[in-house]
Amino acid sequence: MKWFSNFGFQRRNRELQEEINAHLQMAIADRVARGETEETARQAAVREFGNILLVQDVTRQMWGRGWFEQLGRDVRYALRQLRKSPGFTITATAMLAVAICANSTVFSWIDGTMFRPIPGARDTDDLVSLQRGERNFSPVPPFSYLDYRDLRERNHTFTGILAYHHDWITLTGGAQPELVYIANVSANYFDVLGIKPMLGRFFLAEEETRPAIPNVVLSYSLWKTRYAEDPAIVGKSIEIARHPLTVIGVAPEGVVGAMPGLRDDLWVTLDPLGTDAWRLTHRSGGAVWLNVIGRLRPGVSRGQAAQDLDTVMRNIVAAYPDQHLGDNRITLDPMWRSPFGANGFMASTLPILLAFAAVVLLLTCTNVATLTLVRFVSRRRELAIRQSLGANRMQLVRQMVLEGVVLSIVAGAMALVLTSWTSKTFAWFFRASSSPTTLNGSMDHNVVIGIAVFSLLAGMLCGALPAWRSSHAPAVEVFKAESASISGGSRNRKLLSGLVVAQIALSLPLLLCSGLLLRTLRNLAGASPGFEQDHILTATVGLNIAGYSHDEVQLIRHQILDRVAALPGVKVASLTDWIPMTLGHKGEDAYPEGYVPHPHESLQVYHAEVAPRYFESLHIPILEGREFTPDDDEKAPSVLIVDETAARHYWPGQDPLGKNLRIWGRLFTVVGVARNSTHMFVNESPEPMVYMSFFQEGYESIVQVETEGNPVDMALAVENTIHEIDTRLPVFDVRPMRESTQLASSFAVMQSAMAGIFALIGLVLAVTGIYGVVAYRTQLRTHEIGLRVALGASRVDVLKLVLFQGVWLTGMGLTLGLAFALGLTRVIARLLYGIGANDPVTVVSVVTLLGAMSLLACYFPAHRAMLRNPVSAIREL
Amino acid sequence: MNEKHQYKNRIELLQGTLDMLILQTLQWGPQHGYGIVQALRLQSGDALQVETGSLYPALHRLERQGWVQSEWKQSESKQKARYYRITAKGKKQLVKDLGRWERIVEAIGSVMYVKPGESES
Repeated sequence: MKWFSNFGFQRRNRELQEEINAHLQMAIADRVARGETEETARQAAVREFGNILLVQDVTRQMWGRGWFEQLGRDVRYALRQLRKSPGFTITATAMLAVAICANSTVFSWIDGTMFRPIPGARDTDDLVSLQRGERNFSPVPPFSYLDYRDLRERNHTFTGILAYHHDWITLTGGAQPELVYIANVSANYFDVLGIKPMLGRFFLAEEETRPAIPNVVLSYSLWKTRYAEDPAIVGKSIEIARHPLTVIGVAPEGVVGAMPGLRDDLWVTLDPLGTDAWRLTHRSGGAVWLNVIGRLRPGVSRGQAAQDLDTVMRNIVAAYPDQHLGDNRITLDPMWRSPFGANGFMASTLPILLAFAAVVLLLTCTNVATLTLVRFVSRRRELAIRQSLGANRMQLVRQMVLEGVVLSIVAGAMALVLTSWTSKTFAWFFRASSSPTTLNGSMDHNVVIGIAVFSLLAGMLCGALPAWRSSHAPAVEVFKAESASISGGSRNRKLLSGLVVAQIALSLPLLLCSGLLLRTLRNLAGASPGFEQDHILTATVGLNIAGYSHDEVQLIRHQILDRVAALPGVKVASLTDWIPMTLGHKGEDAYPEGYVPHPHESLQVYHAEVAPRYFESLHIPILEGREFTPDDDEKAPSVLIVDETAARHYWPGQDPLGKNLRIWGRLFTVVGVARNSTHMFVNESPEPMVYMSFFQEGYESIVQVETEGNPVDMALAVENTIHEIDTRLPVFDVRPMRESTQLASSFAVMQSAMAGIFALIGLVLAVTGIYGVVAYRTQLRTHEIGLRVALGASRVDVLKLVLFQGVWLTGMGLTLGLAFALGLTRVIARLLYGIGANDPVTVVSVVTLLGAMSLLACYFPAHRAMLRNPVSAIREL
Repeated sequence: MNEKHQYKNRIELLQGTLDMLILQTLQWGPQHGYGIVQALRLQSGDALQVETGSLYPALHRLERQGWVQSEWKQSESKQKARYYRITAKGKKQLVKDLGRWERIVEAIGSVMYVKPGESES
């Protein structure tokens, strides 16, 4: 079809040519008939006719589709020009591809996490996560079922509010028990998310709290891997923690639950076995276990909804004041930055990385623009000829911009291929942890559109500016100035200098930020968390998810502790239900005995349940009092060990030993004070921490051993020992403490790694940029330099002459860049640890590095110019 | 380099009028581009000199609109040329153009030749 129309076009073109020819012939014939000579007649006729090419051009426009044909011609012309200088084309395309890829990679990460907080859900923009009390990172589930139900039923601003709680559980019944993540959900869970079942059905409203309705919904991936895509699975019974449950449905592919970044495998109702009645009928303590997400009514703003829920919550607090001590204000967050799950962390890291990537793209565009300008300057004769042949300025500019656009489209295509791989590298930053993390970039239409936008922007940026500038020169001037030109005129020289200065100025902030982030990473790695982490092995035993009774659990725990402690190579063995620095914590309101808190006053502390010798194994000194002993069990009075921050928080200037704290409405007596240690991040501000006795309050069972040698070597022995007690005991997450705590610095690693890569690209671009421009200008001044030398300038003078240019440009760039950089580091100040945003050492070293590299880049052309033979230099023009 | 814009301006300026003049010329029989220029010049007593840069775009546009048709024929002087012929649709258009032209002339005339006092009434 295209060939056909092209053929038609050619024919019409030929006919137009003939038509004009006929016109001329007849005019000539008339003039000859009037007595003019053949030659003068021809000249007069042609003169009278006017500009033939132009007449053809405007006539062709009448045919319609003219622009399309012009575009095709321009593209062909652009391709021909680009083919003529393969060096430029390859360099520019590669640089643009890398820069676009940097942007699209970070963008694909944002797209896969923040833009797609709940895969498979409908209109996630309308979803908000509800938080009660202070807003912080990885908060504990904030609502009790009764509070949740009241909020759900009494609000006026939501179409639906869902609740869930998830945890590990073992799938038994098969050949091999399998550890899966299970979520207890409200009946409207899938409705609010807008997800339809792939097989069977989801939960019914009346199933929500009715106890002992053992129905389960499978995720697609579990259905596929464990149940071999059985199409008749609905109605069958499966065994979970040794209880039979009936499969009622399968969720569609890709649906992984409502917490961003985590993967649920199964969904059950809030009390599927009828064993959780207590949790559904209380409003405080252990009954506060639900994460809550709401879908806003159309047209309702987040602020209105928060106000609405606050009113409802105030009424709840007024009705049940004793169950709602502490801060009860409701905050709503859009899912892209919801503090529950991964997006809180993503939202504080990825946009900054995208900003870095944008600077890289800008820098690359400047660099390519420099190259383009140099090319256009050397092509100015060609441009001038085309101009005097009747091309107007718009046509020239369009043509030149098109060259940039062609480059960037090719670069964009390359970036697309690259990104389909790099988008998946995101998972590298997240090591195996105790959470079922599913974080990765995604390569979908958003990213493709993003790449298209990035490349189009890049093409415009690096094509338009030089093109406009180059088309500016009047043709006559170009021809006149041809012989004596220096760098293609002072305007181009200024623009070139400006571009070089911009490149240096843009790369400095990248270098400074990456320097600061790298030093932050070093500081984080070097900082002592306040506990031993090098010879510690931890292993989680899924005791309460394997279907044991309470007494059995307690017995097995003691057995584990005794047997593991007896292993050769184990120095100290203990049990805990929390590992520090793994992005999670447990929190609870705690009040000193006799203290009456004001409404909404928050007295939250972190808490962990630890067995005897826990502090000994982690080398955390007990400053006062004692550590827990095996006697601190369920029959003994409840005891606590507080850390220094908690001691100061509750009893400033007093001896905390023997004091009482009220938690969950019960009194705990302080028996010891432990030294502060890191809970979440090395750079956290210390939060009060209370430790409870594992055999009194412990829930999860994590074995923690201090080993004599490398903890990895003990992993198998510890696992086997536990299985000796009962082979059905699920043991998982067996890994050295050091590996777990690295989770806390994974974002710092990501930030510094990406910033480092970007800064390296920036440095290379800036240095090649200044090298290119100085070399080019020096080459254009060959004649002048030859003259100077011939007239008596020394070689050192020549060196100085060229170097001075470079120094001047570098100086300008560094000054501007420094101002820019010091403004930008404020943005990353929050991410830094142990170093100021304007740390003088980093600033000076970065400036020195960039300055030295730039000067080195100028030295080579200067040196070359110095060694030129003046005679041949003068001849060369 | 601004020539093209000038052509454009002239086309716009003369648009309605040039189309009408061409159609009118073709009333007398099929004619080629050169013939149209000559005819217009002769009939206007050398007052109208149509630029080729306006004429050919106009002819091609008229053909696209279906007001004229073209075919290649030998001229009297054995020169092969493209002859344009007015179509039925083109004749209707000419009547319309003429009507409009007359109204314009009348309107402009009544403004230009207004007798003193008449405008007051």
